[in-house]
Amino acid sequence: MFALLKRDLYLALYSSSSFFYTSSFFVLVLVILPFLFGTNNVQLQFLFKGVIWIGLSLSILLTMERIFNADYEDGNLDIILQQNPSIEAVIISKYITHWIVYCLPLFIVLPILSFLFYVSLDSFFLIFLNLFFGSLGMVFIVTFVSALTLGAKRTIFLKAIIVIPLFVPFLIFGTNLESWPILLALSMMSFVLSMYVSAYGLRLYVE
Amino acid sequence: MDELKIEDLTCYRGENLVLKDLNTKIKSGETLVIRGSNGSGKTTLLRVLSNFIKSYNGKVLFNDQNILEDPNYRYFFNFVGQKNSLKDNLSVKNNLKLWEIIYQKNISYSKLLEDFNMSHLVERDVASLSDGQKKCISLLRLNFTESKIWYLDEPFVFLDEENSQTLIQKIKNFNTNNGIVIITSNINLQNTFTNEIKI
Repeated sequence: MFALLKRDLYLALYSSSSFFYTSSFFVLVLVILPFLFGTNNVQLQFLFKGVIWIGLSLSILLTMERIFNADYEDGNLDIILQQNPSIEAVIISKYITHWIVYCLPLFIVLPILSFLFYVSLDSFFLIFLNLFFGSLGMVFIVTFVSALTLGAKRTIFLKAIIVIPLFVPFLIFGTNLESWPILLALSMMSFVLSMYVSAYGLRLYVE
Repeated sequence: MDELKIEDLTCYRGENLVLKDLNTKIKSGETLVIRGSNGSGKTTLLRVLSNFIKSYNGKVLFNDQNILEDPNYRYFFNFVGQKNSLKDNLSVKNNLKLWEIIYQKNISYSKLLEDFNMSHLVERDVASLSDGQKKCISLLRLNFTESKIWYLDEPFVFLDEENSQTLIQKIKNFNTNNGIVIITSNINLQNTFTNEIKI
């Protein structure tokens, strides 16, 4: 599992743009806000809490093709599965790398964005916690959808139709600053579901 | 002396019968060529032998042990499929580094690439290579494991005469070192490898 983890992180490092795509996208989604709604401090603070979730959802959704599909299409998935007899270890490794490569950059830019949107320090920590637990759950969800739709080419719209409704509970609770324990619970439930369904999807592929 | 034995192998893909009552065996130092038309089940057979496909009737035995029940079997073979397992957006060197990590083996790239006269391509992006060059690089994966069996799915596709001869020589060297090779092919290789079955 650690070899796969290392390999996926090196792969992201070699294609260095991976780290910047999602964070740039995230920043751009937020930067559009003042153009649409003006620069009223109170209004921006209110909108910020919601729009960061749209940014996070889209960032995770748009990168889901890279979880399994890229390796499936070029044949590397066969090597990965041959070298790692435990499918569950492969899935956990993919969760970790996907979160590090595509979600961690968002958390790095989050303090700067919060400052720009006049978010108070107390609110920032709660938003940070919400996003952290929410992003974990969302990564679990896209991983199992990615594993289930393995081999289906150019189906990002189909995947979006499956994924977005599953993101809704995270969005509902994510905008409430005190609800990080609920998001943690949702993420734990997503983990259990995702492990089972992802393993089923990968076994279907292997067969 | 290692031996791979296929006994009464029957395999369905969906509702289609792909392999029916296949029986054969192959010993250390031998190469078996599996010939057949498109869709005849050659790749399916290699995926069964590589333990990717696990639901079939019959048995595949390596040294009299069922491959489905042998947790160490994965260390004994190397499978090079029709996909090249290369990342198009990375250089040849970085692709080799990724294999190095996943196979957990340090290897000298320059010596490897010399086998197919590809040393000058080491810094090139894979996307800029021809299909034949990509195929040669994908075959370098054979050097990343100390396996006893090579499963090669259509390995001569896209290769020119010179690189085909290099590959044939590598296979013969592997046989000399008691390795077993199973190749699928659409083309007639009987002048080179005499052991052949048609499916």
